[in-house]
Amino acid sequence: MGELIAVRRRLALFFGLFVFVIALLTTQARSPDRRQVGAIGTTVLTVLVPVQTGMARVADGVQRMWNLYTEIGRLRVENAKLREALDGMGRRNAALQEQALAGERLERLLGFRGQVGSRSIAANVIGRDVGKWFGTVQVDRGTRDGVRRNAPVVTSDGVVGRVIEVTPTTARVLLVADSRSAVGVVVQRIRDLGVVEGRNERVLHLKYLSRTSDVQPGDVVVTSGQGGVFPKGLAVGRITRVVREEGELLLEAEVEPAAALDRLEEVLILLPL
Amino acid sequence: MSRVLAYTGVVVILALVQAAWLARVQVWGAILDPLVPLIVGVGILRGAESGAVVGVAAGLLQDLLSGGGPLGVNGLSKLVVGFASGMFERSIYIENPLLPAIATFIGTLLGGVLLVIVALLVGLGVPPWPAIVARLIMQAVLNSAIAPVLFRTIRVIETHFQREH
Repeated sequence: MGELIAVRRRLALFFGLFVFVIALLTTQARSPDRRQVGAIGTTVLTVLVPVQTGMARVADGVQRMWNLYTEIGRLRVENAKLREALDGMGRRNAALQEQALAGERLERLLGFRGQVGSRSIAANVIGRDVGKWFGTVQVDRGTRDGVRRNAPVVTSDGVVGRVIEVTPTTARVLLVADSRSAVGVVVQRIRDLGVVEGRNERVLHLKYLSRTSDVQPGDVVVTSGQGGVFPKGLAVGRITRVVREEGELLLEAEVEPAAALDRLEEVLILLPL
Repeated sequence: MSRVLAYTGVVVILALVQAAWLARVQVWGAILDPLVPLIVGVGILRGAESGAVVGVAAGLLQDLLSGGGPLGVNGLSKLVVGFASGMFERSIYIENPLLPAIATFIGTLLGGVLLVIVALLVGLGVPPWPAIVARLIMQAVLNSAIAPVLFRTIRVIETHFQREH
C-alpha cells in the first residue's frame, strides 16, 4: 500500500511538472517573439547574468591568449618557410647575376669577333696549369670544332696566347705570360717593331727595341702580323716601364697584358679561313 | 533546506560554467553538458522525484542562460531524463563502477532525442539527421567521461547531510 502511494505521488509530481513545462512552452509558442521569461525569470537573470558576463570575459581573455599562442606558432612556421624561400631566391639571384656577367662577357666577345675579320669559335676555360703559374690553360674546343695547333687565342681585351696541343674535344693554350711565349709586336704610336716574351701573368717583357726608339710608358703594343701566328693589330698590352741600360744597343720595356690572364673564363679561338 | 541550497548551488554553477565557458568548446559539433550526469546521478541516487525536480529546474535555468529559443525546451527533456533515471533507483547495482558512465550515456541520448522532438514541435530548426546523430553520440561520450566526478559530488553532498542528521 505504501509503495502504491509512493508511486502515485511520484507520477503525480512528474505529470504536474510535465504539464507545467508544456503550458510554458505553449505560451511561448503563441507569443510574437516566442520567448517570455516572466518575473521569476527576470529576477534570476538579473542575479546571474552579471556573473555569466564576468565568466565570459575571463573566457575571452583565455581565448585571446590561446589565439596569440597559436598565431605565434603559425608565424614561426611561416617565418621559417619564408627564410628558406628567401635563401633560395638569394641563391637564384646570385646564379642570375653570374649568368648576366657571363652574358656581358660573351656579348663583348661576340662584338670583338665581328671586328677580327676571320673565322672564330668561342671556348670556355676548363682548366689551368696552376703549378706553372698560369703558363697554360685548357679550353673545351678541339679538332672536332676546327681548332688547329698554333691557332691564336684572344679575348675582347686582347691577345691571350696560342694553341700548343689539341685533342678532338679540348685544346691547351700557351699564354703570352709563359716564358716560352714570344709574340711579334709593334708599338702602335711610333710603329717600332719588337718582341713580347712572357715573364709572369702580370708583366710581359718587350725586347729588341731600337735604342733610339721614342717609346714611352702608356704606349699601346699590338701584334705586328709578322711571325705567321697572330693577325696584325690585336692588342697585346700597355707599356708600364722603359728600361734603358748604359752600353746596351737595344731598349727593353715592361708591358702590362691587355687581357686579364689570371681571370680567363671565355676566350675566342681564331680559325683558319 | 540546506540540501536544497547545496543542490541549487551546484546546478547554478554548472549551468553558468556551461553557458559561459563550455559552449565555446565544441568537439565534432558537440558541447559538454555537465547538467545531464548531475540529473542522472540525482535520479539514481535519490529517486525519481528528486531527479524530476532537479531536471526541470536545471533545464529551465539552461533555457534562461542560453538566451536562445523558448523556455521549456531543455526543461522538458531534462525533466524526463531525471524522472526516468530515478525509475531505476532500485533495480540497478549502484556500486558498479561503470554505472555513472553507462547511465549518463543513455540519459544523454534520451535527453537529446526528446530535445529534437520538442524543438520540431515548437517549430525550431534542427540540423540534418546524420549530424544530429553524430552530435548526440559525441555529447554522450563527453558527458560520460565526467559522470564519475559528478556522481562523486552527489555522494559527498549526501554523505555530508546524512552526517548532519
